[in-house]
Amino acid sequence: MRAWLATLAVVAQMAFRNLFASRLKTIIVGGIIFFGGLLVVVGNSLLDSVVAAMSRSVIGSVAGHIQVYNANSKDKLEVMGRMTMGDPDLTQLDDFSKVRASLLKVPNVKSVVPMGISGAMVTSGNTIDLALEKLRNAVKAEQAATTDAERARARTDVESEKGHVRQIVSVLQGDQKNAKAVLDEKAIDPADAEAVAHAASAEFWRDFDKDPLGSLEFLENKIAPQAADADLLFLNYVGTDFQAFQKSFDRMKIVDGTMVPPGKRGFLFAKNVYEDQVKLKAARRLDKIKEGVDQQGEKIATDPDLKRMVRENQSQVREILLQLDAPKTADFRAKLQRELGSQETDVGKLLADFFQTDDQNFHQRYDFFYQELAPSLELYRVRIGDVLTIKAFTRSGYVQSVNVPVYGTFQFQGLEKSTLAGALNLMDMVSFRELYGFMSGEKLAEIKELQKEAGAHEISREDAEAELFGKPGAGATATPAPEAKVPSRHIEATTTPGVSAVKHDLGESLGGKLEREEARSRVFPPGEVEQGVVLNAAVIVKDPKKIKETIGAIEEQGKKDGLTLKAIDWQQAAGLIGQFVNVVRMVLYVAILIIFLIALVIINNALVMATLERVKEIGTLRAIGAQRRFILAMLVVEAIVVGFIFGGLGAGLGAVIVTLVGKIGIPAKSDIWFFFFSGPRLHPFIGTSNIIAAFVIVLLVSAFSSFYPAWIAMRVTPRQAMAEEE
Amino acid sequence: MQAIVSVRDAVKNYTLGNVVVPALRGVTLDVTAGDFISIAGPSGSGKTTLLNLIGCVDTPTSGVVEVAGKDTRQLSERALTELRLHTIGFIFQSFNLVSVLTVFQNIELPLLLQRELSGPERRTRVLGLLEKVGIREYTNHRPSELSGGQRQRVAIARALVTRPQLVLADEPTANLDSVTGQNILDIMKELNRTEKTTFIFSTHDQHVMANANSIVRLADGEFVDRVSPATAASRPHGAQV
Repeated sequence: MRAWLATLAVVAQMAFRNLFASRLKTIIVGGIIFFGGLLVVVGNSLLDSVVAAMSRSVIGSVAGHIQVYNANSKDKLEVMGRMTMGDPDLTQLDDFSKVRASLLKVPNVKSVVPMGISGAMVTSGNTIDLALEKLRNAVKAEQAATTDAERARARTDVESEKGHVRQIVSVLQGDQKNAKAVLDEKAIDPADAEAVAHAASAEFWRDFDKDPLGSLEFLENKIAPQAADADLLFLNYVGTDFQAFQKSFDRMKIVDGTMVPPGKRGFLFAKNVYEDQVKLKAARRLDKIKEGVDQQGEKIATDPDLKRMVRENQSQVREILLQLDAPKTADFRAKLQRELGSQETDVGKLLADFFQTDDQNFHQRYDFFYQELAPSLELYRVRIGDVLTIKAFTRSGYVQSVNVPVYGTFQFQGLEKSTLAGALNLMDMVSFRELYGFMSGEKLAEIKELQKEAGAHEISREDAEAELFGKPGAGATATPAPEAKVPSRHIEATTTPGVSAVKHDLGESLGGKLEREEARSRVFPPGEVEQGVVLNAAVIVKDPKKIKETIGAIEEQGKKDGLTLKAIDWQQAAGLIGQFVNVVRMVLYVAILIIFLIALVIINNALVMATLERVKEIGTLRAIGAQRRFILAMLVVEAIVVGFIFGGLGAGLGAVIVTLVGKIGIPAKSDIWFFFFSGPRLHPFIGTSNIIAAFVIVLLVSAFSSFYPAWIAMRVTPRQAMAEEE
Repeated sequence: MQAIVSVRDAVKNYTLGNVVVPALRGVTLDVTAGDFISIAGPSGSGKTTLLNLIGCVDTPTSGVVEVAGKDTRQLSERALTELRLHTIGFIFQSFNLVSVLTVFQNIELPLLLQRELSGPERRTRVLGLLEKVGIREYTNHRPSELSGGQRQRVAIARALVTRPQLVLADEPTANLDSVTGQNILDIMKELNRTEKTTFIFSTHDQHVMANANSIVRLADGEFVDRVSPATAASRPHGAQV
């Protein structure tokens, strides 16, 4: 044994000395291995850290550790990173209380949150519609006025609203002029152009009061359809139990407004969605420019993104102009003229000038905008407290509409900047079910009531014909027709198949107020959320290390309880985003593979050369009694020594780099990185498994690369020791 | 005396492409233990081939080569290596030392391959031999720091360190000047006398072969005669007889 060790010592010594004797070769080969080891450690550590951070983002925002849904579903459940509008085809879980009970039997399950995820493309308010509605209300109020004081007040309103509508019409006329200039004469239908010209004419407005309702009708029919300023708003929402959600996802914080109280219908906007999509675009762009300048240290003069936003603000003042009625227009003109020291009277031009910001005047203009202009503007198309009327085609194809009051906005702590973590808005489960086409108890009762009123009764399939033809007039369909029941609202929604629409109340009509209060005060019975249908459920576990086992246990328990449950981990539930890390890992592995393949070839070549140079030495060793395996050992040890030393140095340096970077942290440059880093900075950590992996890979590569030269060496015969060079 | 090497009608053909080159054409030779024999002949006479067969580095195409009572054609590659390790020592024309090892390590190497002796035993053995070949002070030198004669002394020490029954030397003095060469032969003779080690060395040098007890002369791969040094000196062109 000792002699064996001594032999190994000699082998090692010969290996070391050979390596030292051919230093250049050793350094080149070692350098490649060094780099490989470094890459394995740094790359894997970074990825592992991102996975760990991202898992916090995914788990903490909506997915939970595990998502459970019906195993009979046609599609896979994806709670995040949904790229399409269509909902995945999921089979419902009929009774959430049973699902929850079953899940809670699994020891590692801490809490369960009911969910349903869907989305709707909605259109926000069309300013002219709202302005016309206000005008109509004012006209009606004037007509209904009984006292002089009332009449006088109504008159002022009518004049003010008339001014606003006139302003909109003139903006529209400007648009048409532009369109003609940019495109051609035919771009605008002559009838449309004529209508706008008429609506903009002084005569039209002079004669308005002679027939206000007729004039309004003209404006509504001929002008309003042309002013398509409504923006499409795509809202993804999670129907859930707000209280369970907040308890299980404790990073959730209310930013504006309040939490939806238990048993109430309600909608919470994700703060990001609210800012990005609902806020007035000019204001949003100002915010973004400020963020770029203040936080990223960028300059408007040099940064193309900031430049673009300044340009857009200058060219897209229409959005603001449309909001201005006569007094506001005057107010804006005066303020802007003063601020800019300009004699210009066109508010559009003044605004364009105002938004021409640069690095010098930006902060001054930003403050001016928010202090002087913003208070007169609707900064958000949907305000906290508004009632959203969401209409959607349910899965069975009929239109369903639900009134949901907006209670506020929320975000996840640490993920404030991430649009990914904040892409989903929250809605109460009962409203969600209705929009999705499931019947709530409230709705069922309403339908029963309707049926009773209409004298409808259940008809069995067999009796249908007799009912229909035998007793004509007595039959009625049992199909719910909630559409018919929806009263004419202050908010009108346009729908397209598969798309729902939302409009909000800018007016202060009586109907609107009532509607809002009704939506807000309606309460659903306590058991309703619990016992109803859900699409999926988020599971928070006690020990996150045991997710795999828990998934198995959940599905097993489901079978025992007669539920067809499918459980997936957060990474699968995160859909494309979850796959992102796998893709990056794949890229890294391919890079590592390529580097090590190159290393393999280079090391192999170097060793073959070295072996050929040492044929005589090897022959001598063979002649004096060294077996082939001794020669093999000698060469493999040589390769492994190189691998060990240089791979070790590379892995070591990698560990040092990761540790140092971990102390400082990698800043998240854009919102997507906030999500992947689960906060403003990623603090990578070193995993022992990565260092071990680096060693194993390096040693394997070294060993593999020495096989061919070793094979050559083993074929060297002792006779070659005798050969003379001469 | 007992024959340590017995060669019967040994034929060795090498194949170069499609051409068969006969190197030995049927040689018969017995070497008794303790002998000090020279194999002589001009270049291409088959000296090295015969040494390779005796040294178990090669096996005959036909005929029999027995070393220490073992028929080399019956042995596996591994067994031949074992035989070389334990029975035979080699001295090469160009010394063939391992350049990255010290003098001591070069000599110790066969002992390590044998795995029989402990560290201290090996050390005693190696140092004793270094003393005998007269390069004790170069123990920790590298071969590159030594002269040709010194290197060949190291090679002799390496060949003898396992106390082999047989030492084969292929032209051991060819790369040395005559004085140094004679020194080397003197050392070999001394070891032959004191250690009773059998030496077989090849040479084409008249002065060198004169040191042998008997001279086996080869020509064109065939055995010519086996003569005493005196006879060889009187009939230098043995091949012509």
